[in-house]
Amino acid sequence: MATELRTTGWDFVTTKVDKRAIQRQNPDDPREHLRELEARGEVKIIPITEENQPIEVETLLGRTKLIPTTKLWHHKSCGQCGNIPGYPTSIIWLMNRLGLEYLDETHQTSCTAWNYHGSGTSNLVALASVAVRNWHRAYETGYFPLIHCGTSFGNYKEIRNLLVEHKELRDEVRRIMAKVGRELVIPQEIVHYSEWLHVLRKRVAALKVYDASQVVTTVHPACHVWKMIPDDVIYDREIYGGERPAPTTAILLELGAKVRDYSTWYDCCGFGFRHILTEREFSRSFSLERKIKVMVEEAQSDVAITQDTGCTTTLDKNQWIGKAHGYHYDLPVMADVQFAALLAGADPYKVVQLQWHTAGWENLLDKIGIDWRASKKRYEAYLEELKNGAVPEQLYLAPND
Amino acid sequence: MSQDLGDVHLRLDPDDVGIQDADSLLKAIRTDVRYHEAVHGCLNCGVCSGSCPSHRFFDYSPRVVVQTVLSGDAEAVKDMMDEYIWACAQCYTCAMRCPLQNSPGGLVMIMREVAVWRGMEAVHRLLKPYGRVLLKVLSLGNQLTPDMIQPDFFPDWGPKIPWSSTDLAIKRKAIPVYTLQVTTSAWRVSPETSYELYTIYEETGVFKLIEQIDPNLYEVVADMVEEVRDTVDSAQ
Ligand code: SF4
Ligand code: SF4
Repeated sequence: MATELRTTGWDFVTTKVDKRAIQRQNPDDPREHLRELEARGEVKIIPITEENQPIEVETLLGRTKLIPTTKLWHHKSCGQCGNIPGYPTSIIWLMNRLGLEYLDETHQTSCTAWNYHGSGTSNLVALASVAVRNWHRAYETGYFPLIHCGTSFGNYKEIRNLLVEHKELRDEVRRIMAKVGRELVIPQEIVHYSEWLHVLRKRVAALKVYDASQVVTTVHPACHVWKMIPDDVIYDREIYGGERPAPTTAILLELGAKVRDYSTWYDCCGFGFRHILTEREFSRSFSLERKIKVMVEEAQSDVAITQDTGCTTTLDKNQWIGKAHGYHYDLPVMADVQFAALLAGADPYKVVQLQWHTAGWENLLDKIGIDWRASKKRYEAYLEELKNGAVPEQLYLAPND
Repeated sequence: MSQDLGDVHLRLDPDDVGIQDADSLLKAIRTDVRYHEAVHGCLNCGVCSGSCPSHRFFDYSPRVVVQTVLSGDAEAVKDMMDEYIWACAQCYTCAMRCPLQNSPGGLVMIMREVAVWRGMEAVHRLLKPYGRVLLKVLSLGNQLTPDMIQPDFFPDWGPKIPWSSTDLAIKRKAIPVYTLQVTTSAWRVSPETSYELYTIYEETGVFKLIEQIDPNLYEVVADMVEEVRDTVDSAQ
């Protein structure tokens, strides 16, 4: 990656990357208006307190954002839990290793934004009500919501901003919340797990038991994480000179892996919300042609590292079919948090659950020196035990909910 | 009841399914409360299309979407809502790069919503492959669940997919997080939570919309809703 430090990273982004220099004024900070609304008794803010041991970071426009590190309410992702179970499991495993406090429970729905972007069978009031219902559930438990999914994260930021801007929307959501016995609450910050991982990167890297210095990674920054409400995204002058979002790249560097640049880093993965289900030839062609091929041929990548749900699925699942057109890539795809957990010694099968991924990851683990064959044996024996009625192991004992 | 705020609306009325004249569709787009955040004018510069993934693979251009809506040609806008706008991948690269801070992707989303809530013909065709996701999202609030990953649906995902669907219950139990040890939802969702979700869907017209545009799906969902409500009510 580029080592040259651009001291004017933010200027570069706003003039060259997103071309917003034409708009001289920076967007309003919704969090300031949120405080005004709270002062007027219109909303309650879910506060980040000392108990959450927050860490302050800088965002695109040089504003600060507080990232809570503990006492967190897991806002899970349906695509991760349903299809990439090692994603949330790795988050929980790392939190255990770091001795952090959290709550994982059953009183949460998805954000429903995947469905909305794909099908249009919802509306702003429904999306906002679903968001506020989840936020309020976290609020009443005393834990701060940590959003696992990038689409939930982007959607919730958009909803937060719209709630702040439109009294009519607040009134309507408040009316609906009253019907379900809840109130209009909005978190002080909308926080994605990749931001949590980012601020704790030194502590996470300290858990490392394997050497990743020979591993070449390529990062796919997730669209709904950094292109939706871009002014809320963490940038760091030490990471690509402040020209690209810092989360994920920074933890990989901290873990000692190589992060290599590739020319289509900016592109989406091809997920498309509808396309992954109904226009699959687009998802396949785009992910192969614009991401996997470039990561392998330009960067000689050993692994594609993601920070969101749909991208992990799209990049991973669409490689095999490429053989029909002479694409013989087999690039492992996993989330930053799975990669971090692996290097910290998490079991590749039982914890990181790589067996659900379709692109081959075995060579990567051999390169790092992780004995996945022994892990596989343990896992297969464990499946037999479960078949014979063994009680499942738990990383976390859920309270009686 | 639609949330008519004079010049703008928060949502459309499911009773208006069927009102499809071009002028009223364009009006519904332009009076969405988010419209003026999505469109601030247009330089016709094509920066949005230049980095649009769908532009690369389909006959689709976000610049053309914005220009057509701004032109006020209601018939042309209506034509676009049939197929054209559904090519958008909703990545928001366009919104990140537009010099005027437009969000062509956001405009597309408003147009999709109007197309669905007015029950346009294309919607039935477009939503058909979406039935399973809709069923899950309406009944559980989950959108993707472990039992949806079946080789029949994803033959192009390769030879490892059958593994994912065999002995699923045991493999899910082997995930060491209690909330994930289920097969028909992404995580265990408490019935009280689903109950609250149904109230949201009722109050925002979503259930009524589904009843209008897909009565068969609605029937299945209504049965599930009734069951959950009975469970929660009797527990109370
Ligand atoms: S959101 Fe849609 S229009 Fe915008 S760049 Fe992405 S695919 Fe293109
Ligand atoms: S980038 Fe913006 S101003 Fe340029 S054509 Fe697209 S919508 Fe219009």
